[in-house]
Order: sequence, then C-alpha cells, then structure tokens
Amino acid sequence: MTPTHAVQEAVRAVSRQLPGGYAGKLLRVDLTSGRSWSVEWSPEEMRTYIGGVGLGAKILYEEVPPDVGWDHPDNRLVLATGPLAGLPVWGTGGLTVVTRGALTNGATSTQANGFFGANLKFSGYDAIVIQGQAPRWVYLSINDDTVELRNAASLVGKDTWETQDALSAELGVSGHQLSVYSIGPAGENLVRFAAIQGDYGHVASKNGCGAVMGKKKLKAVAIVRGTKAVTAADPRGLFQAADDIAHDLKTNPLAKSLYEYGTLPGVVNLSKLGVLPIKNYTTNVVPEGVDFSRWEAPKLRQGFDHRGHQCNACGMHHCHIQVIPSGPHKGERVDEPEYEGWSGAGWTIGLTDPVAVSWLNTRIDRACVDVNEFGWVVGWVMECVEKGYITKEQLGFELKWGDADGAYRLLRMITHRQGFGDLLAEGVKRAAEKLGGPARECAVYTLKGATPRGHDHRGRWDEMLDTCTASTGTLETGNPVFPQEMGQPARINIFDGDQVAKLVAGLLGRRHFEDSLGICIFTTRTTIQNICQALSAAAGWPYALEEAVRFGRRTAAILRAFNLRCGIGPDFEYPSPRYGSTPIDGPAKDQAVMKQWERMRELWYEGVGYDPKTGKPLPETLTQLGLDWLRRDLWGK
Amino acid sequence: MPKVGARHATVEVTGWVTKFVGGDGSGRKLYTEPVAAGDTVRDILRRVSARHPELDAALWDASKRELGENIEVLVNDAVLGISHTLDSELQPGDHLTLVGQYMGG
Repeated sequence: MTPTHAVQEAVRAVSRQLPGGYAGKLLRVDLTSGRSWSVEWSPEEMRTYIGGVGLGAKILYEEVPPDVGWDHPDNRLVLATGPLAGLPVWGTGGLTVVTRGALTNGATSTQANGFFGANLKFSGYDAIVIQGQAPRWVYLSINDDTVELRNAASLVGKDTWETQDALSAELGVSGHQLSVYSIGPAGENLVRFAAIQGDYGHVASKNGCGAVMGKKKLKAVAIVRGTKAVTAADPRGLFQAADDIAHDLKTNPLAKSLYEYGTLPGVVNLSKLGVLPIKNYTTNVVPEGVDFSRWEAPKLRQGFDHRGHQCNACGMHHCHIQVIPSGPHKGERVDEPEYEGWSGAGWTIGLTDPVAVSWLNTRIDRACVDVNEFGWVVGWVMECVEKGYITKEQLGFELKWGDADGAYRLLRMITHRQGFGDLLAEGVKRAAEKLGGPARECAVYTLKGATPRGHDHRGRWDEMLDTCTASTGTLETGNPVFPQEMGQPARINIFDGDQVAKLVAGLLGRRHFEDSLGICIFTTRTTIQNICQALSAAAGWPYALEEAVRFGRRTAAILRAFNLRCGIGPDFEYPSPRYGSTPIDGPAKDQAVMKQWERMRELWYEGVGYDPKTGKPLPETLTQLGLDWLRRDLWGK
Repeated sequence: MPKVGARHATVEVTGWVTKFVGGDGSGRKLYTEPVAAGDTVRDILRRVSARHPELDAALWDASKRELGENIEVLVNDAVLGISHTLDSELQPGDHLTLVGQYMGG
C-alpha cells in the first residue's frame, strides 16, 4: 500500500464509523460460479434501510428486474438479520427472508427465529445475498471467515430435521453452536408453497421462498456460532431497554399471554370471535362432540411432556419441544405448534384432536411447506371430495374431514408431486382455477395467489384488507399492542369498513420496522418507543417513533413499487369468492365484507397516500418518505 | 350455566381473561348481575370489573370510560358493534362474554 493509499484508507475508516449492533458487511454468494465475497455497506445505508426487510426490499428492487421471475437464476434470496440480532434483547436470533416468491411471483418478506440471526452476526455478516443457480445440490457453510459451498448430494431427499442432524454430525457442532436453515423435499421439488425451516421448528414460510431456494439447488445454510463480538453503542442503555421490554411482556395484559403460553391461547379466543377457520370457512361453529376444554392454552401445554426451546436470548415461555403422548406416534419428539399450526394442520381441515394436529404440524415443517397454505389446500380438497367436485378416482383414495392419515398422505403426494399432488403443489389458487367450476368457488385465496394466515378473516376484516393489499404475500401491518402510539384508536367497530380501512392504513409500516431489526415479533409486543429505545442504544442513533413509522412506510412503498413493476397491481387486491364470503353461522354471521370492500379499498388508498387507479404511491407521498429516486422511477418526475 | 333470574344478566369471563379474576387462564367464570331498567353494557361491565382490580386495569383504557385494546366483549355471542354498543341497554337474560384479544401466528 502506498502512503497515499494508506491515508485514503484511514480517511475511509474514520468516515465509516460503524454504528453499534452491526457487523458492517454483507456476504454475497453466486451459486452459478461458486464464488462468495463480502461487501461493506455504509452507515448511511444502515440508517436508511436498517436490515431485514428494509435492506431486502432495497436489494430486491435494485437487483431483480421484472423479467427475472421467481425461478430465474438472477432472482435474489436475501437472508437478512438486523441491528438487534445477537444482542441481549429477547428473541434476537431473527432472520428475514426476502425474495421474489413462487406463489405471487412478487415480493416476499417472511420471518423466522432460532439462532440464525445471532450466529450470522457473530460470523461478521448482517445479511447473506444469494444469486445464481448451482450446477448441483450444495449447502452454504459459514464458520467465522470460512465460507464454503459444499456438496449436498447426501442431503437430497432428507427432511429439514434430518438435514440439521446430518449437518450437525458432518460439521461436528451441535445445539446452539450451529444454526441450520434448510429446505425439505418440498423445496427440492419446487412446491410453490415450500418453506425454509431452521433450528428444529422455526419456519420462514411465506410465498414459496423454499421453492426459490430449491430452484437455486441450495439445500441448506449452516452457520457455526462465530467468534466476532457484536457491541452496542450504549451497553447500559441497551440493558435498560431490554429490561423495559421484558417487563412489558411479563405484565402488559395483551402481551402476558404470549409471555406465558406463546400463541396457544389463540384457538379458544378466536373461536369465540368467529375468527377460527373451521373446515375451510364452511362454518364458524365448533363441531358438536369436540372436547373444547383440551384446546385451552394450559391444557394444550400440560397435555404433553414438554420442554422449553427458546430462541436466542429469549425469556418467553413460547417455543417448546413436546413428546407425542399417545396414539400411533407415541414417543415421537415434535415442535409444539404455534397457533398457526393448530389452525392450518388442525381446524382448517376439520382435525380437532390436539395430539394428531401436533404430530401432523411437525411433519409439515419437516417436509417443508407453509402450514397455512397446506391447510387451505387440504381443507379445499376435503370439501370438494365431500361435495363430489373431486372424485376418489382423481385423488386416489378416500378422504374425509379431519382425516389425519389422509392429510399426511396428501402431504407426501404434494411434497413429491405425485399424482393429484402435482396439481396441489401449485398452491390453492392455481389448483382451484385449473379445476374450475364449483370447486373454484370453495377455495380460499387472494387474487395475487397468496392465502391468509390461519384465521377466518370474515370476522377480522382488518387482516383481510391487509392480506389483499399487502405486497409481501402475507400480512403487512399487524396490530400493535398500543395502536394509540400510531395515532389509532384503542379499538374500533370491527365490522365498520370505514374504521377498519383507516386503522389498516394508519398502522402501515410498524411490522416492517420490527421485521428489520433481527428480533421476533412476539418480543416486540411492547411500545414502539421501547423498541426505538433498544435500537438507539444498539446503534447509537437517536431513533424515535416518527422515524420508525417513516422507515416502515418507506419499505412498504419500495415493496409495492417492486410488485407494480412485476405487473401486480390494484386489480389483484381482492379475496376469492369463498375468502370474501359472508359467514352463515357463528359470531360473525351475516357480516358481509364484500358490501364494503370497494369503499374500504378507497379509504385505505387515501390513508396510505397511494393512487387507487395505478396502485402507485403518490409523488408527494414518495417525497415525504425521502424516496425521490423511486418517484422518478414510478412517475418520471 | 347457572339459572339466571328474571332480572339478571350473566357475564362470562373466558380462557386467558380468567387470569384477571383469579383463574388459571382456562375454562370460564360466570357472574350473575342484576339488571335494572336503563342499565347499559358499560354499567354491567363496570360493576363486575370494580370487584376485580386486575380485570379493571385490563378492560378499560386510561380514561376508564372506554374499553382498552386487551379484551373483546361479546353480547349474546355477537361482537360489540353488531347488535350492541357500550351504551346499549341490556335486557334481563342477556349474556356478556369477555374474550382475550389475540394477535400473532
């Protein structure tokens, strides 16, 4: 290095004062050439894009042009963490996957936890950006500064738990010292709702991100817990923030149930509100003869031999491993289902035995597909069989509501694209449209090709509107613990379309902020101000609510612009006939969402500052968000 | 369900919300409340929550006039807003249900 270069380097180093909480580098991997390299990103970029979905949205928009579909080698698969990952705040192993997904062929943002985010940070990276397509099956191994693409031939055909076991043995590292995120046979066979699962039970499940990984012939990413330090700019302030957040989670009435039981209370609570999806939206009433007391949160947990399976630095009693207590699979170790598992592997398909649901849920994770889409597909098939729209001959066997063995058989057929499973592997929208006729009328999906989470949104219009208008193939907003913080009322009349639309528009951005930090959305069930306090202490920025909201809305606008460029516009912001139908029974009986749908969309567009005709964020909205470059792209001015 | 007298309403506290009235977070607890002419949903809820400080803190917002965001209220199995508001008069025999708000996946 010449003296001049040395001076330039020194100047660059000083000007690049790294904020706390960041490793400062992105790992880039080109599977086609087998090359990997690291790139620095600037403190300015960190403040603007934070990490997670914020960073992923920027990369997606800049590097994936409209003619690069989900299955094109040039599609990017971004595995990003954020500035809180690896720091002593609860649930900071967070991973956000951003890509162009297989179900909507649009943007995807989907989260999982465990230890991936922390291990990646300790290895010296804030995110991995994967491009290209490997000539043969590989896995990515990261061990501090050693980054390798290794032969994965021996892993092909293995499910996600088997893959993690095999890599643990191969690398000689186990437990929290190794985080493995992998695809199962479903991803290998390009099932459009294939997911990416890690650390025995954490799933980045939305929009077929597993199919993207499969198309790239990347079986797994294995990260040994690195040895690089991650420091907060203000350690004392961070401990205080972590303490405040933990206190809130333990004491706030709304967060307390999550703290004690994770998402287990969801089944009982939502059933009373007409939001539990029972038998593919055919009813809102718990079938007679079901012992509903078994579905109370304490009973769900105490009904199994269980032990904690916490994520990085987490004190919540949320994730658990349990042992199947009875029946044909007695003794098998499974991951305690989240509410979404109880719903997708259970109620949606009429399966109401918690033991059977628990077993099936883990099989779904291991195979590895999105449990919600699985529920909508299988529930749809079960209803169609009952009504004669799909025959036994087409399916290859008898199938009835609540048939756990039949559902598992369908899972295997879907995973391996065998027989009728090949059609179902395309996801519920494509399968229903291909079958057409009355069968199509029974399917639950959005016109974009996504499906709801495990809720009956006919009793929760805010989430239906959010799901249909979102750019990510799933919910984009989500209710905060204190909606008042974002200028929204503590509660609304949930069947008043005007109030619903204003609420959903008013909350846009919060979820993107959370999903950019490398933290779990269940440990952010506190005030946004507390989360900002943690970010401020970690990075050393004075970060407040206003900037968080602006950041979230900026991210939403970039994702929307990406989708518009891909041809996904306002015409697709509708529920399918069944998804938007009027419940015929239960607590939401006769509440007709479609009567108010157009008005709701109109108000939503007004609230978020987008143009209802084109779907574009308005020029003034983009300028307010500091997105003049995007304004020029979208409006040419 | 206990037999409700001619001038009474029942308030059912369910699942997670039972934690705020001395329960374990499962099942339900039933309270029978007398209904006088002109009594509203708000009046009945106030009477019940006044006897249970934790429920009172979780049920109402800071103004103590409106419901907070933590608990959903159903009247005769319908969410508030469909057939009743907080200020709707209750009839003897009406049934209120308190359900924990739920968010997450």
